[in-house]
Amino acid sequence: MCRHALILLPLIVAALELLSPLFNHGGSLVCLTLIFVVFVIAPKRCGFRDWQRVLPSALISAAGALATFLLANYLNLGPLVASAVVGLAGTSFFKERHQLVLYLGAFVGMSSDARFPSLTLLIAAGLVGGVLWEVLNETWNGVGGRLGTVAATAVLVVLLTLGGGL
Amino acid sequence: MSLFLGISLGLLWGFLGHTLRQKTKLSLVAVSAWLTLLAAIVLPRVFKSGYLYALIGTAVSYVTMSSSHRLEKLWETLTVSCICALLVFFGQNVLVGIGGRLGTFAAVSVFIFTIPKAHKGLINPGRE
Repeated sequence: MCRHALILLPLIVAALELLSPLFNHGGSLVCLTLIFVVFVIAPKRCGFRDWQRVLPSALISAAGALATFLLANYLNLGPLVASAVVGLAGTSFFKERHQLVLYLGAFVGMSSDARFPSLTLLIAAGLVGGVLWEVLNETWNGVGGRLGTVAATAVLVVLLTLGGGL
Repeated sequence: MSLFLGISLGLLWGFLGHTLRQKTKLSLVAVSAWLTLLAAIVLPRVFKSGYLYALIGTAVSYVTMSSSHRLEKLWETLTVSCICALLVFFGQNVLVGIGGRLGTFAAVSVFIFTIPKAHKGLINPGRE
């Protein structure tokens, strides 16, 4: 249940954006409360134990995010081409499981430079993406767009907590 | 006109993704990445609103990453592709600049289709 609550964060933010005239500052408060509850309660309630896999996933995801962001913004390839290039590079070097994690990181790296003025925050979002991938592993299995939703969750978590809001 | 074209291109990308998944041994990521690359390179050069169509093609490529358990037949993939194209078209101002936005649209599209499908028996129990 708590996993579903976390992965739904992008949809909650999207809904709050659409209803923003009704909630001026309430939206960020709702999201921050949700993040706090989920990060404090989820690890205990969900019984997640496989922490050994978290570090490699977090690093691969962060690498994917950084590579995509640099390709998109510094080589001016644009986010779509950059994510595709990183995804295709991943298929050459990684097994399927890690390809997915790298592609998740690539989605994080598709964020605009206006949202991430510093690379540190972007790398943090990539790391969070990898952690979420492991924690939310059994959630929404087989649903196309799950990687993107996890990536959006990671980006929103970092922007709302460390990045000073949306 | 641009909505009609967007839906048409979304259907085409859905068809391509489904076919690549069925007929080739490419991995999930490879299929999606090739479709994204094709959309991002070709569509902006061909159409005036090409970048929007590229976004639709990319989001639909994420739809085609669904497992065959979720989207088994071609018509199911095409239906979800159509829903996804509509979501991207009308959701252009939502979650702007947030990485993973298109994937979120894709996931919502899949759920719009699969949740009623999974609960078909509840809505019309006589047909189960």
